[in-house]
Amino acid sequence: MIGSLPSCPYPLCLYCKCESTLFNFVVDIKKRQKQEEIIMLSMKKLTAVFIILSWGIISYGINAATAIDSILLYTPFTKISVPPGESIDYTIDVLNKGETLETFDLAVSNIPRSWSYTLKSGAWNVRQVSVLPGEKKSLSLRIEVPYQVNKGNYRIYVSAGDAYTLPLTVNISEQGTFRTEFTTRQSNMEGHAASTFNYTAELRNRTAEAQTYALQGQVPRGWIITFKANGKQVTSVDAEANGTVNISIEVKPADQVEEGRYVIPVRAVSGTSSGDLSLEAVITGTYKMELTTPTGLLSTDIVAGEERKINLVVRNTGTSVLSDVKLTHAAPVNWEVTFEPEKIETILAGREATVTATVRADKKAIPGDYVTNLEARTPEASSKASFRISVKTPMLWGWLGVIIILAGIGTVWYLFRKYGRR
Amino acid sequence: MIFITTILKEVMTMYNYLITLTGKLRNNGERAKRPFRVIMEKEIADHVSSWRFIILIAIIALTCMGSLYTALSNISQAVKPNDPEGSFFFLKLFTITDGTMPSFTVFISFLGPLLGIGLGFDAINSEHNRGTLSRVLSQPIHRDYIINAKFAAALFVISVMLLSLGIMVMGAGLVTIGIPPTAEEFMRMVFFILLSILYVAFWLNMSILFSVLFRQPATAALSAIAVWLFFSVFYPLIVNLITRSMEPAATASPQQLMAFEQFHLTLMRVMPNQLFSEATTTLMMPSVRSLGPLTMEQMIGAIPGPLPLGQSILLVWPQVTGLMAGTIVSFVIAYILFMRREIRSR
Repeated sequence: MIGSLPSCPYPLCLYCKCESTLFNFVVDIKKRQKQEEIIMLSMKKLTAVFIILSWGIISYGINAATAIDSILLYTPFTKISVPPGESIDYTIDVLNKGETLETFDLAVSNIPRSWSYTLKSGAWNVRQVSVLPGEKKSLSLRIEVPYQVNKGNYRIYVSAGDAYTLPLTVNISEQGTFRTEFTTRQSNMEGHAASTFNYTAELRNRTAEAQTYALQGQVPRGWIITFKANGKQVTSVDAEANGTVNISIEVKPADQVEEGRYVIPVRAVSGTSSGDLSLEAVITGTYKMELTTPTGLLSTDIVAGEERKINLVVRNTGTSVLSDVKLTHAAPVNWEVTFEPEKIETILAGREATVTATVRADKKAIPGDYVTNLEARTPEASSKASFRISVKTPMLWGWLGVIIILAGIGTVWYLFRKYGRR
Repeated sequence: MIFITTILKEVMTMYNYLITLTGKLRNNGERAKRPFRVIMEKEIADHVSSWRFIILIAIIALTCMGSLYTALSNISQAVKPNDPEGSFFFLKLFTITDGTMPSFTVFISFLGPLLGIGLGFDAINSEHNRGTLSRVLSQPIHRDYIINAKFAAALFVISVMLLSLGIMVMGAGLVTIGIPPTAEEFMRMVFFILLSILYVAFWLNMSILFSVLFRQPATAALSAIAVWLFFSVFYPLIVNLITRSMEPAATASPQQLMAFEQFHLTLMRVMPNQLFSEATTTLMMPSVRSLGPLTMEQMIGAIPGPLPLGQSILLVWPQVTGLMAGTIVSFVIAYILFMRREIRSR
């Protein structure tokens, strides 16, 4: 109080109005202290007498009463909400408020059978604890919540002998499972028939033991499914308890797959548990075609100025319907190419249509090989066939030459007859 | 040369043997040979043993050996990638050259006329001058047997000679390069040899014509050589002279240029050696597809490639017809002149 005089916090204090009163105040304090000491002395004497008197009468009863009340189990968070599979760490303080040393057993009760717990202090499991008067001990309680647990509140009692019971409430936030989780973030993929679908899946082992999972996928005939873990192609994977394995699933559609949506069920099966995943592959149609001849022969011969019919086959090698297939050509100058029919309405996937092309060579075409390109075309796809057409000269001039020579020989023969045999 | 002479002699003996054999088979071996055959055999025997023929054959055989040697030493350079004639490797033996020596075909086209002239220039007139002609004709034979047999005998000798030369070139090529010719190559070579025989036959007939025309063999020989020189040396010069004056300007229309080229080519084709070289080029280089000027229209879409043999022959058929017509025409003229001639003994 003296130290706080210059700015006295007490507004009713009479002694802090001016410095000159300081001395008077000190004197006054000393007087008051003396009076208090006198009172205290008399009081001590009285209580001492009282204690001595009552000691003998109620010493035992008081002793028991203080033991029950003096022990206290304390933890700050008594209601904890966790998902299944988690473990909870409580720090429990054991306080002895009494005057005497207290020793008592520790027990955890009302815990569900599948749950497990450990009560430890430092490195040891603790079953009994002694606490000196006025001191406290810290214990750590670890409760492991299994996966297979129902949603709700669970009350667990931690008791210190009979003296004190600490109720703990564990709230399981969701319905627990004992199972395998097989999930993917993106189960639907789209692509054309020639593409490869790569799915990324997670296999979570939510059981208490390590599991070996066999991986299976049910694909339509002709499809290829491969599983990869850690970059290697696998048929089974090991997952530790509560462990996660990343699996990439590669799906290759069949060669001649039709467009549509395909569901591929994938399973990871272990001895005790299994996980299911369903993948979706959406195949878009492809437009492909091939222009060729029934025999595949792309060469023919033709006499200059004459016609030659070529049978053509337009094959739909894609997975969609081709419609309005037009046939065009790129032939040498003065060559004529006509198609019968000129246009094909539709060709179903995998089917073929036949066309007859009539090629008429130029009259002045020189003998030897010429290239004529024939093309089948839709807006989506086109196919070109290059024909090597060997031009032959008409035999007409050859026969004319032969006639001239024969005429010459005939003349000689005539002369032989006329002059020679006289 | 000795080789060819030997072959000829062998052929003759075989021919005689065959004749006697067929005669025996017919069981009339006692009958005398037909006069035409007798004259022809005598003529062949004369040719084979004459110095003139031996010298001619020596010249031709040696030059062909030389051209074969250059062809063989350059054959490795003749093979180029993407050559449309790549599959006609063997034919290159007849056509390639390194510039120092003309190729086999060029030699045949140059020396073939000399051979024909050499064998024919004194066919009739020397007999006439020696007085043997009237003596032969006093025998009971047809008059045209003489000229026919003379022509046939010379043609036979020439054929055997050219065939053996061609086969020799093939054999030497086969030994050296080790690749056998394909059937088509072989056929092309056979056609080339037949064409050469036809070409030489033309000159042979021309010289026989001169031998009928001129009494002196020297005159006949000189005039035949003059014709040969005219066609090989002067005629191209004259054609160039004519066409140069007619040459259209560079800005002329394509039609004009085309017509001019056609005209030039027509003038050139009067020469028998032009016809022969066009025909041999087409036969020995299968990728040759046309012998005249071409329009772009004809070229668009054309891909280089060898022609089949039939097409090649069809392409050169006009040339062959021309040569054959020339041969027949000169023979006909010689024949008529000979038949109308008055033959008196001196």
